[in-house]
Amino acid sequence: MTDRFKYREDREAYSAARVRALEALLIQKGILTDKSVDTVLGYFETKMGPFNGAKIVARAWVDPEFKARLVADTPAAVAELDLPAGMAGAEGEHMRAVANDPGVHNLIICTLCSCYPWPVLGLPPYWYKDPTFRSRAAREPRAVLAEFGVDVPESQQIKVWDSSAQIRWFVVPERPAGTESLSESELEALVTPESMMGVALAKAA
Amino acid sequence: MKLQHHLGGLEGLGPVWTETRVFVEPWETRIFGIHTAMMALSSQLPLPATPSAFDTIWTWADLRKGAEGINPFDYFKYRYYEKWLGGISGYFIEKGYITAEELDALTEVYYADPDKALPGGGAAAIDERIIQYLVEGDSPKRDVPVGDVLSVGDKVFIKNVPTIEHTRLPGFLRNKVGTVETVYEGAYTYLCDTGPDGIGTPMPVYCVAFDPQELWPGNAEANFILYADLYSAYVLPADVAEAA
Repeated sequence: MTDRFKYREDREAYSAARVRALEALLIQKGILTDKSVDTVLGYFETKMGPFNGAKIVARAWVDPEFKARLVADTPAAVAELDLPAGMAGAEGEHMRAVANDPGVHNLIICTLCSCYPWPVLGLPPYWYKDPTFRSRAAREPRAVLAEFGVDVPESQQIKVWDSSAQIRWFVVPERPAGTESLSESELEALVTPESMMGVALAKAA
Repeated sequence: MKLQHHLGGLEGLGPVWTETRVFVEPWETRIFGIHTAMMALSSQLPLPATPSAFDTIWTWADLRKGAEGINPFDYFKYRYYEKWLGGISGYFIEKGYITAEELDALTEVYYADPDKALPGGGAAAIDERIIQYLVEGDSPKRDVPVGDVLSVGDKVFIKNVPTIEHTRLPGFLRNKVGTVETVYEGAYTYLCDTGPDGIGTPMPVYCVAFDPQELWPGNAEANFILYADLYSAYVLPADVAEAA
């Protein structure tokens, strides 16, 4: 039997050295520059990230007509807002928003890989990429959501959206109660990536 | 059959991992950056030529084929970006950009001295193209006639196509019946031709609704609907399937 069920003791140190060696070779051989990786990472810190999705959701909370347009034609509604260039860029070419309401809770999954709407949500968190989540959420979403601390009553229908082709999905969570006096920018702070994929509810601070 | 194509509905896996971080080790950021730069420099994209020595194709399909091709035990054993590191390193070796020996040797160097600086240099045009790719993306939509398309509400039978290396048809939907929820406008390619699996040329895509009680009779939760986006090569009108 091989050591298939064991990890190297220096698992992380080894991977860290190996990825550094790979990046060094790619720079040496003229494939990438010494700034390429940081260029990508910087882009996800400032241009593509959940801060964009939070603005979209907060607008949907304060403007029901915008919310209706967002669900009917997501790219056109997103383009109305003053967001960075690239909202229809990489992994956002074809996006679709679904809105929660008292009767329906939406959950986004990708059973084949980890498709995620980069421009509005940035990069997928580990829970979304984990094979256990991807397997179980398809058959027992209520049990999975309970493990995230979200109890969806039996009477509320769950819609699970499997991202298996070109569409990148996200959820418009319900506006939390008791937030009537908050400004749009204060509302943005209540919107988490988890709430925009359906494994959390937006909560008043 | 690859287990990785049949994850949906798999039982006995234990609790989910509720980790909300995108990266759990600093090194993981580097392999993500390398992958995204490769996608931006991939040779099939209609973007400006750069001095980069990268002259082959690297898309999500290549990354997915790598992850789908590994031993299923390893698929569950290793974290997401560990699989990326293995697959991407293997690609550069297979395509002859680097050798396994030089990667191993340099790994030892950085292992012994993790703070040793990376080499410098490179043309600015390479990084400009990376930004351009992120801003513009790579839409699979194609302006071609699509012929007869299904309609919302149509019952469809999901084929069990002969997948070999790669597919976008989840295993748990094969031989099942669903209902068209949305007909997406136009036609969509995929990142590669999947051969007898059937996708790659422009075709309609449908969002199809499934009753989980029909997918897993007596073994699925109540009061939920599962939707999947499916290329038309994977679906047949249910009446046509019945007549066949």
